[in-house]
Amino acid sequence: MSLDNRPSGRRKSVSYAKWGYIFILPFFLVYFIFTLIPQVLTVYNSFFTNYMDGLTHIGPDFVGLKNYVELFTPNKQGVILILKYAGNTMILWFLGAIPQFAIALLLAVFFTSYRLNIKGQGFFKTVIYMPNLIMASAFSMLFFTLFSKVGPVNQLLQQTGLADKTIDFFVSKVTVRGLIALMNFLMWFGNTTIVLMAGIMGIDQTLFEAATIDGANAVKVFFRVTMPLLMPIFVYCLITALIGGIQMFDVPQVLTNRLGMPNRTSFTLVMYLNNYLSTSKNYGMSGAISVIIFLITGVLGGIVYKFLSAQYKEPVEQPRRVRKGARK
Amino acid sequence: MKKLIAIVLCLLMVVAAVACKKTETKTAGKVFNIYAWNEEFKGFFEKYYTVPEGVTVNWIINPSDGGVYQQKLDEALLNQANAAADDKVDMFLAEADYIGKYVNSDATMGIDKIGFKNADTMYKYTIQAATDDNGVCKGVSFQCCPSALIYRRSIAKDVLGTDDPDEVQSKLDSWEKFEAVAADAKAKGYYMTASFAETFRTFSNNCTMPWVDANKTLQFDPMIEAWIAQTEKFIDNGYTLDCGIWDDEKNQQMFADGKTMCFFGPAWYFNFCMGNAQDPEKGCSGDWAICEGPMAHFWGGTWLLAANGSDNTDMLKDIFETFTVNEDVCSKLVENEKQFPNNTKVVDKFANDPNYGSKFLGGQNDILAFSKLTGNIKWENHTNYDQIQILNESLQSCLQEYFKKSVDKDTALATFYQKINETYPDIVTP
Repeated sequence: MSLDNRPSGRRKSVSYAKWGYIFILPFFLVYFIFTLIPQVLTVYNSFFTNYMDGLTHIGPDFVGLKNYVELFTPNKQGVILILKYAGNTMILWFLGAIPQFAIALLLAVFFTSYRLNIKGQGFFKTVIYMPNLIMASAFSMLFFTLFSKVGPVNQLLQQTGLADKTIDFFVSKVTVRGLIALMNFLMWFGNTTIVLMAGIMGIDQTLFEAATIDGANAVKVFFRVTMPLLMPIFVYCLITALIGGIQMFDVPQVLTNRLGMPNRTSFTLVMYLNNYLSTSKNYGMSGAISVIIFLITGVLGGIVYKFLSAQYKEPVEQPRRVRKGARK
Repeated sequence: MKKLIAIVLCLLMVVAAVACKKTETKTAGKVFNIYAWNEEFKGFFEKYYTVPEGVTVNWIINPSDGGVYQQKLDEALLNQANAAADDKVDMFLAEADYIGKYVNSDATMGIDKIGFKNADTMYKYTIQAATDDNGVCKGVSFQCCPSALIYRRSIAKDVLGTDDPDEVQSKLDSWEKFEAVAADAKAKGYYMTASFAETFRTFSNNCTMPWVDANKTLQFDPMIEAWIAQTEKFIDNGYTLDCGIWDDEKNQQMFADGKTMCFFGPAWYFNFCMGNAQDPEKGCSGDWAICEGPMAHFWGGTWLLAANGSDNTDMLKDIFETFTVNEDVCSKLVENEKQFPNNTKVVDKFANDPNYGSKFLGGQNDILAFSKLTGNIKWENHTNYDQIQILNESLQSCLQEYFKKSVDKDTALATFYQKINETYPDIVTP
């Protein structure tokens, strides 16, 4: 009221909304300059021939969709390489993600359970998060050395009599993919556990108690109470893990010394991109691959979201059903 | 009040930024940037070259593995014109495998521009390698790299009955003999070589045609085919191991308990890359000797190239002189660093010195042995399209899968072609 009595020329009210915009401005500026513009440029570049031949720059020449056509043309063996590498990437991600989510869910439930009431949680949480703090490339180098033909794992296997001769872990696709999956699992299950724990702790404790009093056992509580209410966080975890998985690069790159051996069965999409980009700076082809990776990520992310979020929307629909019944 | 603090802080930041700029510009032209792929030359440089007062030497070292060194160097060279004086590349190192790419480009400048003249004491091929198509020489090498067969004396005694370099040479002077000895070695529980790619250089350096022809089509020299055929046989018969030339598994064979008789390499190889053999506890220094082997060849070599746009031309000239003409330094390179210098005068001095011998080689005069091999080095069949490093490296890594029996030969070669298509869009592959 006193504001209205102030002399004209001064503001009638203070708009706090503008501060909101000002505070989020830095993010949008940074996003615009460092993310959006490069993204648009990547799409733009994918329509050009543009690379280095030694110290000579070839292009840029507009070629339309030629780069995309080239990517999807089968090679002499009749294989469409980008699909093969996309398949590899997904297999590698799945192999690591399944144990990652299974173990993370289990640990999250254990740690948050008021009945188990595990002591020393801080310690365990720190330890399981540790592998994530090591640089992926250093971690891969470590595994490369551990599992090399002259490495400690081979020595151990031979000394304990488990293997009678040296095992070459890098000639079989099962072992190479297994090692990559194992490393990704070790690096990420701690992170997932912590996020899922936060999700579970956000659920009202009384629901667990009520379910227990009603006679639900732990398994039932998990599937009927924990999971449905955890779904939003779980979907978030899954989608971010999926995006990370599609961009898998450093672990297989370092572990297989850029080769994705054997016969490129552990060669991922981003390693493929990197081969075009590193020596010849082939912006055209690598741009096209980037766009395809972007599309794959978008489609898969969409599918996961659609499927899983449909489940946790159910509780919202329930009241309507009740109303329908009431009308009858 | 808060605003005031914010303004003051902002101003401080601006002042700090400007102040940084100022100190930088003060030392313009006083920074000497050298690009290299390992610490080898850096070690010699720091020991034997006195940097002029007020100049800071800045080493930018990137590993050559996977072409990383060339990648980073190319970026810097392409940006040379726009770079601040202090950030310009002044000198960079290049290897035999790709020196042509830089020599035949504007990234390098003629040594005449810095007032340096090649001396008569340099080996001809080192000058040819650094000379472009118009006859302008762009740099120098401080070493000459004839490659030899490096063998374990004790194993040679066991297998051949002798460890005398001349006698060993007479028993290993052709590939037929080499193979026959490999069978004998195997029978006694030894490996002939420690890597499937050990003999690659001996073949590839005797190729008569380059990797890529005038139409940029990939071609396989009969020598490369011969190497593949020999390696197939060696792997199948268990004469060699299936690891790469730089792998730990191979390097472990250099220890005293190693079972491998032969390695191939020039002076820099056993001085810089055979650290395990020189290990005071597990090594076997003195149990080695060198001879020419089945086929004369050379391997690598480091050239110092003058980067176009350098603002330290006097220093460049000085460095070139120090490591090629300066007999004092070249002698020290032999005595202390076991190098084979690019100076015939110094080489002759040591080759004819009865008191000189390499401890590592059990007293053998390596300079004398190598000097006999220098005449065999020919700088031929090098194209401007110089991507030999990556082609050699990729061929080996793709074929390794075949030698390890995880894929068949056609699949391995298809992967090799695919890798080329990804790396060099211009090369036409079969």
